[in-house]
Amino acid sequence: MPGLTSTGALAARLGLLYEHMFDAIVDGPEAPSETGPAGGECRTPVKDRAPAVRESLAILAERARPTSSSESQLLPVTPPLQGLFPDGGLRRGTSIVVAGEGAGGRGADRASGTTSGLTLGLSLLGAASSAGSWCAAVGLTGLGAVAADDLGIDLTRLVLLPSPGPKWAEATAVLLGGIDVVVLCPPFPVRPAMARRLLARTRDRGAILIVLPGHAGWPECPDIQLIVGNTRWDGIGSGDGHLRRRRVTVTATGRRSAARPRRRELWLPSMAGTVEDAGPDGPVDVPT
Amino acid sequence: MMERLLVVRCPGLLEEDEGGALLRTFIQVLAAVEVYCPWVQPVRPGICSLHARGPARYFGGEPALVDLVTEATATIAETQVGIADGLFGAVLAARATLVVPAGTTPAFLAPLPVTTLGDPDLAELLARLGIRTLGNFAALPERHVLGRFGADGALRHRVARGDTGELAGFRQPGIDRRIQRDQHGGRPAAGTQGGFWGGTSDRDARAARTLADVQRLLGADGVLRIRLQGGRSPAERSRLVTWGARETPGDRTMDAPWPGQIPPPAPAIVHTPPLGAEVVDDAGEPVVVSGRGLLTATPGRLSVGGGPWTAVTAWAGPWPAEERWWSRARRRTARMQVVLAGQDARLLLTEQGRWWVEATYG
Repeated sequence: MPGLTSTGALAARLGLLYEHMFDAIVDGPEAPSETGPAGGECRTPVKDRAPAVRESLAILAERARPTSSSESQLLPVTPPLQGLFPDGGLRRGTSIVVAGEGAGGRGADRASGTTSGLTLGLSLLGAASSAGSWCAAVGLTGLGAVAADDLGIDLTRLVLLPSPGPKWAEATAVLLGGIDVVVLCPPFPVRPAMARRLLARTRDRGAILIVLPGHAGWPECPDIQLIVGNTRWDGIGSGDGHLRRRRVTVTATGRRSAARPRRRELWLPSMAGTVEDAGPDGPVDVPT
Repeated sequence: MMERLLVVRCPGLLEEDEGGALLRTFIQVLAAVEVYCPWVQPVRPGICSLHARGPARYFGGEPALVDLVTEATATIAETQVGIADGLFGAVLAARATLVVPAGTTPAFLAPLPVTTLGDPDLAELLARLGIRTLGNFAALPERHVLGRFGADGALRHRVARGDTGELAGFRQPGIDRRIQRDQHGGRPAAGTQGGFWGGTSDRDARAARTLADVQRLLGADGVLRIRLQGGRSPAERSRLVTWGARETPGDRTMDAPWPGQIPPPAPAIVHTPPLGAEVVDDAGEPVVVSGRGLLTATPGRLSVGGGPWTAVTAWAGPWPAEERWWSRARRRTARMQVVLAGQDARLLLTEQGRWWVEATYG
């Protein structure tokens, strides 16, 4: 099998190949076949498509209005989480930082920085998403569809920007302009000025920003900080059982009305992959 | 950085025949490649791909890997093997049986005709504008392309420029299930509705406009959504789809029986591809799964990707995992859950004495 040795050889080969070789390669789902492939749909020819797109955009622009003042300023959260928030829900224009308590295994791999608070962060989206809010996650790679679905997130209204690259902050700022809840896992260290800009944008646009700082960190004080601690997996032993559920203590602190710490014992995830109350106080039903 | 992909293209097996004989031959090709590279992925009938970097290092370079795969499959069917950056380039490289050096795929693509983008309407329109090669198309400013040819044209433009590795819709979703079902004389699944443009509320419209802005900033395929489908492993059950791209029907029915599924709750993060890992006992000896499906020793520590060791505090399994449906090698694979110091929990997969982290609970 020849490797590529010289551009001359390559050009010679390609010269022979141009006329006939490429037609069959990509003629799968995109080809407008006369017979119509199973499950295929009619496509607008390109020459007609551009005006159609412009028209759609015009209609959309007309429909799109800034958040109306009558729209609720509070997005719902699932009942077990309500006690963590002074208003019992997510207030528009506010920011929440979710972090693990001294997450172990620092640098063990890229995932460990965000995992301790990830399920809690995602669980904040469930009720709002089910009620029709749009959600986005920036810098979160490999989100499991099953876990997200189990937490009540409507996957048709969830947008992922897994690898936004150096434009991550700009992309996040754009999202905050039209997406209700934005989860941010900063892919790079965050400068204070950048964080302040995003917080200001969150306030101005009435969005909700949930930050999972990971290793990148978050230099600004959010409205509410949620700390996940005392995590303990249940159901797994020395070669027996399986991961059934995880008990955590979540502590909420914050500014103004959120200043008084609030604490909740939760199953996160529960056996069904949801959030459940694990009792008001003290370990109940934690086998050793 | 685009992935180095090796593509095996079987020119005689790109179609599907009524009896399924061509698909069965393709299955044999997959099995032959899999002997050397366990992570080979069927892309669509007659085309499969694998991440070339690791195997190339192992087998002595990319040309050597191409030779190896070509030889391994030669007796089964006519195959063309090539390597390039991204699936689009790699398929064309395979068609030309070339190894396109890393980073030079845009130059390789530039002289090729725009018909390779698989959209005859677009190609015709471009031809009328005097644009016949991918290089000419790529030279058009992105904002003009979006305005003139819409999001679909912009996606293809990014492919032509080498910014995007593959054409949306080129992969045939659930091809493994599809082949299995075709072998049993079933019918293809009905098409599903995307529904995005159908949304009428103000919120949906505002979100649509915002997402179009983000796609202008990051490129169309920087914005994705996730789809839930049937399957056994966490990776099989999640599927990423470019935002706004035409929907291709998914084939993995949710209610099908999926023996070997890991019990809930599901992991929050699925690593695709899985992360290489090592598991050792307290004495530092590698732990493997024996022929009887039992661990040879108590797992003591885990290292992911050559990183630091973390103590294993609890584990469950191993459970035998499904064999790859195309595998003739009768490999033993198994899954195991581990809890690490600090209560991080992982789902591990083992095959032939090697370990991978397949998912992270969080």
